[in-house]
Order: sequence, then C-alpha cells, then structure tokens
Amino acid sequence: MRDFFVLKLLDRMQWIFKALGADYAVLRRILQVKLTMDGRRTPTIFSGTQEPKLNMEGSPFRVQWLYLLLGLMLIALVAPADNYILTMSLMFSIVMFMITTTLISDFSTVMLDLRDKNILFSKPVDRRTLNMAKSIHILIYLLTLTLTFTGPSLLFSLFRHGALFFFLYAAEIILMDGFILVFTALVYLLILRFFDGEKLKDIINYVQIILSVGVTVGAQLVSRLFNITEFGLNFTPAWWHFALPPVWFGAPFELLVGGAEGRHLTILAVLALAAPVVLFAAYIRLMPLFERSLQKLAEQGASGQGTGRIARRLSEITCRNKVEAMFFRFTWSMMKHEREFKLRVYPTVGLSLVLPFIFIFNQVWSGDMAAIRGSRSFLFIYYSALLMMTAVQMLRYSTSYKGAWIYKVIPLPGTAMVYRGMLKAVVLKLLVPLFTLEAAVFLGLFGSRIIADMAAVLLALLLYSVLCFLLFPRALPFSEKYEAARRKEFTGSAFVQLFVLAGLAGIHYVFTLIPAGIYIYLVILAAANTWIWHRAFLPEDSGSSRLPTLRAGG
Amino acid sequence: MPKGERVVGNTEEPVISIEGLWMNYSDRMVLRGIDLEVYRGQIIGYIGPNGAGKSTTVKIMLGLVEGYSGSVRIFGRDISDGDTAYKRRIGYVPEVAELYDSLSAREYLTFIGELYGMKKADAELKAEKLMGLLNLNKAYDMRIASYSKGMKQKVLLIASMLHDPDILFLDEPLSGLDANSVMVVKEIFATLAARGKTIFYSSHIMDVVEKISSRIILLDGGDIVADGTFAQLREQSREGSLEEIFNQLTGFDKYRDIASEFVAVIGEGAPHA
Repeated sequence: MRDFFVLKLLDRMQWIFKALGADYAVLRRILQVKLTMDGRRTPTIFSGTQEPKLNMEGSPFRVQWLYLLLGLMLIALVAPADNYILTMSLMFSIVMFMITTTLISDFSTVMLDLRDKNILFSKPVDRRTLNMAKSIHILIYLLTLTLTFTGPSLLFSLFRHGALFFFLYAAEIILMDGFILVFTALVYLLILRFFDGEKLKDIINYVQIILSVGVTVGAQLVSRLFNITEFGLNFTPAWWHFALPPVWFGAPFELLVGGAEGRHLTILAVLALAAPVVLFAAYIRLMPLFERSLQKLAEQGASGQGTGRIARRLSEITCRNKVEAMFFRFTWSMMKHEREFKLRVYPTVGLSLVLPFIFIFNQVWSGDMAAIRGSRSFLFIYYSALLMMTAVQMLRYSTSYKGAWIYKVIPLPGTAMVYRGMLKAVVLKLLVPLFTLEAAVFLGLFGSRIIADMAAVLLALLLYSVLCFLLFPRALPFSEKYEAARRKEFTGSAFVQLFVLAGLAGIHYVFTLIPAGIYIYLVILAAANTWIWHRAFLPEDSGSSRLPTLRAGG
Repeated sequence: MPKGERVVGNTEEPVISIEGLWMNYSDRMVLRGIDLEVYRGQIIGYIGPNGAGKSTTVKIMLGLVEGYSGSVRIFGRDISDGDTAYKRRIGYVPEVAELYDSLSAREYLTFIGELYGMKKADAELKAEKLMGLLNLNKAYDMRIASYSKGMKQKVLLIASMLHDPDILFLDEPLSGLDANSVMVVKEIFATLAARGKTIFYSSHIMDVVEKISSRIILLDGGDIVADGTFAQLREQSREGSLEEIFNQLTGFDKYRDIASEFVAVIGEGAPHA
C-alpha cells in the first residue's frame, strides 16, 4: 500500500482535522485504503482474456488530458489586466460549471454510499471521522480535477499578474471546491430529511437534474453581468449578483488587484469567504444527521412499481427478435431501478434538456425574436443527444455487476441482439421522451415550418445512437463495476462522438441550404438508419465479437 | 456439550441487556418489544424465519441501525450515548461477505486491526498467523477478489476475531466453509465461550445451532417466542430436533404440500418439452 503524496500533505494540516473533532490516525488510514482501492481494477466476470494487465495498479490521480487542454483555453480569460470582475467571474462560472456537473454526476454515488457503513461503522470509528474521511476523499478528487483544469491559467497568472493575484486565485479555488461540495451535500441532506423510501430515491435524481440545469443557467447569467457597449465593458451593480457565486469569487480580484472600491463589491467579496465558511460549519455540525438520514436509502420499500406493461408493449412493437425483446425489457427495468446508473446519468439529462435552449436564448437576448424564427438555430436541438454519450457509456456499469454470470449460464445465441435490445431501450426510455419534449417547445418557437427538420433530427439522433454504441468499447449491459480510473479511457471516444454529433448537425445545415433538401436528407437518413441498425448488429460470423464469456472460460 | 446452564438466576452483570426494543422501518414493524439479557460465556443461537428481525437486532447493537426505541446496554453502557468505544470489544461477521475485495488479505486485515485500535505490525503479524492456521498462508498477499467464497468467509472470521473481542456477533459464519474448516471453526467458538467470551450466533442451519448453542432464542415476527437451552425447548414443545421445534413454534407444517406443488409447477410449460 503506497503512502500517497496527498496524505503527506494532509499530515501537515492534521491540526485542522483534530480541531474539528476527528481521529486523524484513523482518518488517514481510511483515506489511504480508499485511495489504494481507487487505483486498482476489479476484474470483471468477463475479464478473463480481455485485460492482460489485470493487476495493473494505476494511480488514481492520472492526469486528465482533456481537462488540461480545456484549461489552456482559460488562459485567455486570465490574460486581460483590467475588468477583473468580468474576466474572473466568467472564469469561475466556467470552472464551477465543470466541477459541479462532475461532482453531481460522478461523486453522488460516493456521497450517498452506504456499503461502507457496514464495514467501517461496525468498528470503533466515530461518525465524525468516518464522514470526514468520505468528504475529504471526494474533495481530494475535486481538487485534483480543479487543479488540472485551472493549472495552466493559475501558472500563467503568476507571471502575468504577480503573487497577490496568484495566491488569491489559488485560495479561491480551494474555497470554491469546498463550497461546491458542501452545498451539494446540504441539498442532499435537505431532501433526505423531507422524503422517505422510494420517493426519496426518485427525488434525488430530480434534484440532480435541477442542479445541473441550475448550474448551466447560472453560468449563463454571469455573461449577462455586463453591458457590452461600443466603448467596452461596463459593470453595473445589481441585486441578483448576490445570487451568483461566480461573481462572489470574481469580486475580490477587482477589489484587491484592480484597486476598485464600493459597497457592492465589498459585500460580494465578503460572500466569497463567508459563504463557504458558514456552509462548511453548518455541514460539520449536520454531518451525523446526514449519515443517519442516509440510512433511509437502504430501506427497501415494499414498492409494487408497475408490472412493466409499457416495456412489454414497446418491446413487442420495436423488437422482432425474441432475445432482443427480452434484453429490451431487462435494460428498461434495470435503468429504472439501478441507482448507480440513475445517479450518473440524470445530471446529463438535465444538461441535455437545457443546453439547446441556452443557445437559443443567447440569441434571443442579443437579437429579435422574428430573426430567430427565420433562422436555423433549431439545429441546437442536436445538443440533446449529449445524453446518449453518457447513457451508452454508463450502461455497462452496475453495483450488482456480479450478477452478470447470468450471461454465461443462459443459452445465448450471440450478443448482437442483446446489444440491439439494450440500445433500443435506452433510446426509447431516455432519448425519445427528451427529444419529444424539446421538439415540442421548438415547434412552438419556430413554427410548423420545422416539422420536417425535427423528423430529420430524430432520425439523425437514432443514427447517432448506434454510432455512440459502436465507438465505445463493447461491454454487456450492467456487467462491470464502475471505476473512476477506467472512465478516463473513454474520454477519447467521447471526444470523437462530440465531433460526430457536430458533423451530423453540420450536414443537416447543408441540406437546409438546398431547396427541399431536407426531404432528400430525410430519405438518406431513413436509408442510413435501416442499414446501420441492421449492419451493426449482424450475428457474429468472424467470432471477433462473440460473447466474451466463451473465451474467458470461467 | 452445554456450556453451563446458567440462563436463570444469574447474579453477575449481563454483557448485553436489551429492554423493550421496538423498531420499525417506514412501512412495517420489525421488532416488537424484545427483552433480553446475555451473560459471559454464553453461545446464543439466535434463530427465526427470514424477516423475523434477527439481523436488525444485531445491527442495532452494532450501531448500524438507528431509530429504535427501548434501551440497549452493552458492557453496562447504553450504546445510544454516542461513544463508539464499546465496539472495540466486539467482533462482527456480517451475513453478506462485504469487504474491500480489491485489497489483499494482508492489507484488509491489517486495516481492520488498526481500526480496532491495534498497532499495524501487531495486526499484520497476528493476521498472518491466523491465516496460516486456516490454510490461507499462500493467499495472504493475493487480492480478496480472487478468493473463493469459503476463503472470503475465513477472512471475515479472522477480521472479526483479530482484536480478541469479548462479544462476537456472527451471522451465518459457516457459510461456504468446507466440512473440515467447519469443525475447526466450531471448536474455536466453543473454546472462546469456555474462556468467557459471548457469542451471538444467527443461522438457518438448525443442526449446527442445536449442537453449538448453550441457549437458543427463537424470534418470530419481531417477538421472542422461545428462549432456553435446547433441552428446555425440547421439553416444552415435545419435538425431537430443533428443526421440528422451529417448524412447530413458527406455525409451519405445510412443507410437504408446498414442495410437491413446487415440483409440479416446475414441470409446467418447460421450454424443452
């Protein structure tokens, strides 16, 4: 077991934890075990021959190159030496957006985890230490992520603006991470207090959607802070600035580095320090309550949730193959009940829901409505397919991944139909309802002239779903354990998928330039769909995509 | 075989004392007023049908489940006072093999030992010796994920006893063990009890409970329906084996009918017919 650098860093600060009432030795030990486990891979049922490097022990802190790359772009925001409130507020809104969405989608499961409790809390570990270990565990990851993301601009600022700016920036990053973590935890606590049983589990997912929508919209509001006039940028104080945390974090720069004054700015700057600290104090105090309320999630409500009639009907309509229909229903009900899947995917549902509108309203804000109605902005609806990226990727994971032995035991003719049933279930359960909702609003906004376009988008998205599936390495549904370390391997293909999506929107745009081109496009798309939904799921002939089981020889 | 028949008329301080324990989850009552006193050296066979409340009782005593009413005192102290120190003297084998299986047994057991307040080197050495005694010396440095069910169970057993606890809560502790290991482990329990340790043993395997327990407590629907030595229980119910006593006390006598109906249903509409 390695002694991680982070732990040595924590050793320097152990007085803080002791002051907060934790048993530092135990805390450190738990963290060490957790970090060690994060770096290890759990072999899956099918991993027999697929992963030769089974015992590879990676560091949980491998650099996320994508974040670093995106972080380089932030330098542009740090570069100007005036209007700090503008640039830094924008900066923090971007960073907060990235970090919060990552937190609620990737770490909600850790925050709401109960499995640990039986192992750790049956030992003489006090509640406070246990909770603190959990929070710090998450915080370590958040900070690593934030530092990768802000690292380039942080370094740049040291040379561009000097030490004061640099330290202010660094301190605020830590405050911000703490703020995000504690705020999210408190929101969860609130829900845990007010709801019970099955309802609670649903509500948590809705809150995730609301949170991600809130963060996205909030980040957008920040850019409305300023009136862009011919002479440059003006900052006009307004009451609603107090509701936007990124502005709090922007204010100290204007005050301390920019040398501005004013009550408005001072209050904002004080909030940047006070809000995280106050919330943190509240959090420490409420932690035992949080842990106790978590127990509610473990209660198995005698839930007689539907008999799956919808799934049955849909599977009959959409699947001709028996195996396909079976896995359609299986995936459908798993998506409905698998907490981990929902916790990871629902935040993206929120994002996919709101992003198309964000872009539209950006234009509404700057232009007039009539111009919008005549424009091709409806193409932004393609953003709703972001959901598929996450959903298809997440389908392979499950908390009960060990149940995947069932694939080995049942007489499956091949996996093609399993995958097709699975994909159809995701499309119908998540993508289609979301798209229908957005298309309805878009039709209201743009008028009936875009009906054909919306049909084309739907077809394009169906095509895209298959492409998403093809681009990710294959895995049977719900057969792997989720590991943060592994997910990084998918960033590459996720990137490619983004380009594919943009490409599809681009092609659509080209066809709208041709008179009646959209109808040609519709025909092409229909043909392409028929082809790909068939071609991608041919019964395996070469044996290359046979059921991994057969080779694992378990 | 009985390890001292001192169920009644005991003058010494009970190690566990439960009074009027009620517990309900949001929709149903799990425990309805349990009263129980347990003394040193007893092996309690804690039995009952599925959902009778056995695991809940144990989890309450471990502080894993809260929201009960009534009082639970362990080593003379009420456990609801927030001090978790009493857990230092308790060992626990949970029903499901929940452990960090991406760790090796060395790492896991050392970690657990440390959580119980042992020194790292002591825990590591002791765990290695115990692993060796249960024939796992070769597996000590392998990841637990690669273990068989029985090996995992042994690791759980070692983890529960590593710190020499005074009370052991065991939930199906023999599951997955081979016949030889079962004999070893049963003998370990008997020896520990003879040394004054208390063992709280939940299981569905009546033969084992019958043989190993010095006192049997039968729980049904959240109530204690029988409490006494095996001999006393047999006298009360005039049945031969614990299994029969269990069936009688829980009001279950239809096993033949159910079994034959079950087999009949299996034959219906089979795909290969």
